[in-house]
Amino acid sequence: MLSRLVFIPASALKSSGSMGAGLVQASRCLHISPQNQAPVPPLPEKSGKVRHGIIPEEFFQFLYPKTGVTGPYVLGTGLLLYLLSKEIYVVNHETVAAASVGAVLIYAVKKFGPGIATFADKLNDEKAAKVQEVKDTAVNSLTQAIEAEKKEQWRVEGRQMLFDAKRNNVAMILETNYRERLHMVTNEVKKRLEYQVQLQNLHHRMEQEYMVDWVEKNVVKSITPQQEKESIAKCIADLKALAKTTQAKVSL
Amino acid sequence: FFDQFSLTTFMGIPLIALALTLPWILFPTPQNRCLNNRLSTLQAWFIRQFTHQLFLPINQGGHKWALLLASLLIFLITLNLLGILPYTFTPTTQLSMNMGLAIPLWLATVLIGARYQPNHTLAHLLPVGTPGLLIPILIMIETISLFIRPIALGVRLTANLTAGHLLIQLISTAAFHLLFIMPSVSLLTTTLLLLLTILELAVAIIQAYVFVLLVSLYLQDS
Repeated sequence: MLSRLVFIPASALKSSGSMGAGLVQASRCLHISPQNQAPVPPLPEKSGKVRHGIIPEEFFQFLYPKTGVTGPYVLGTGLLLYLLSKEIYVVNHETVAAASVGAVLIYAVKKFGPGIATFADKLNDEKAAKVQEVKDTAVNSLTQAIEAEKKEQWRVEGRQMLFDAKRNNVAMILETNYRERLHMVTNEVKKRLEYQVQLQNLHHRMEQEYMVDWVEKNVVKSITPQQEKESIAKCIADLKALAKTTQAKVSL
Repeated sequence: FFDQFSLTTFMGIPLIALALTLPWILFPTPQNRCLNNRLSTLQAWFIRQFTHQLFLPINQGGHKWALLLASLLIFLITLNLLGILPYTFTPTTQLSMNMGLAIPLWLATVLIGARYQPNHTLAHLLPVGTPGLLIPILIMIETISLFIRPIALGVRLTANLTAGHLLIQLISTAAFHLLFIMPSVSLLTTTLLLLLTILELAVAIIQAYVFVLLVSLYLQDS
């Protein structure tokens, strides 16, 4: 009787509907040794269903096949009446005390029960959310890492193109260099050739001049003095004639 | 009427042994899961809140007392709350038990303070800033108050619980007998209900108990 009193208040005290789980917890602690059940079976999310806040639903189910729906109620009423009539349970002042205690407790449970239940659920949900957040963050960072990796791979391909372009560049520069040098070589060669040409021209000219000089010298040498006098006299006569014509032109 | 206060040996086992050991069934042990069922979560949350609040002022080697004080709280709360139900026996109504809790704990705080910091402990006997003339008298008073502490702790707990239970008994008897002389009953039962609600401040008594213990601990700066 005393132990039953202990159990029932346990549920009444903290019965946000969680009595079933509480009791199961209590008994489970005694039977488990860690080596036997290495993957721990999950706790039931919702507590065992209770009817009227105290009596578990299984009791009703247990009696259902034999006695139908009204079975447990009849049992309860009959038991109560039996106890009362036979004075096995004497109604005395304690009953009044029990009634008031019961009233206060039921009032408290009805009023604060759901609030406390939501609070406990909120605590649990916060924990779950935290862990979930960790997981989500991990997943996010990993996805980002994957994307970055893909981008890097694309960049590597791009890099090939970059190398090609650079290679082309270098080839062009080499080509340009080569052409320049070719150009330079041509110029130098042309200069050399021109030099030779000039040299030859010079030779020609000098020969010509030397020849002309030689011819002139010979001619001058060959002019005898006789011829010289004749030519001078002729020149004077020409000059006089010219002077006359000029004078005539001037007087006109 | 005083039956419930005698230390009965019912069915050969002293009832007090049963009453002291059985309440532990009610509290599930924490399961080391991330998410527990509601009861475990609430319980764990409550214990953590309480311990945190209790040890904010101390913040030193006094944290060794955490387990003791928290379990003391749970113990006393359970005993008192269960005692409110009819036909139960509340061990804390026995002066012997309460003094058995009070004196060793108080003595422990005093001895710890006296051993590790004797100067500091003696300094506590005299509040600061008293005028010179009053010093001898004040030392006497402080010493007396120091020694009265365990008695106060134990007797406070016992007296409050006993008085509460007794009142409930008397009023419920009166209500019961007046049930057959109708009118006064309703008033009496209402009063009874109110008293009950207040008695559920048996919890507060426990807080007071542990708090006073804490205060002495804190003062001794263990």
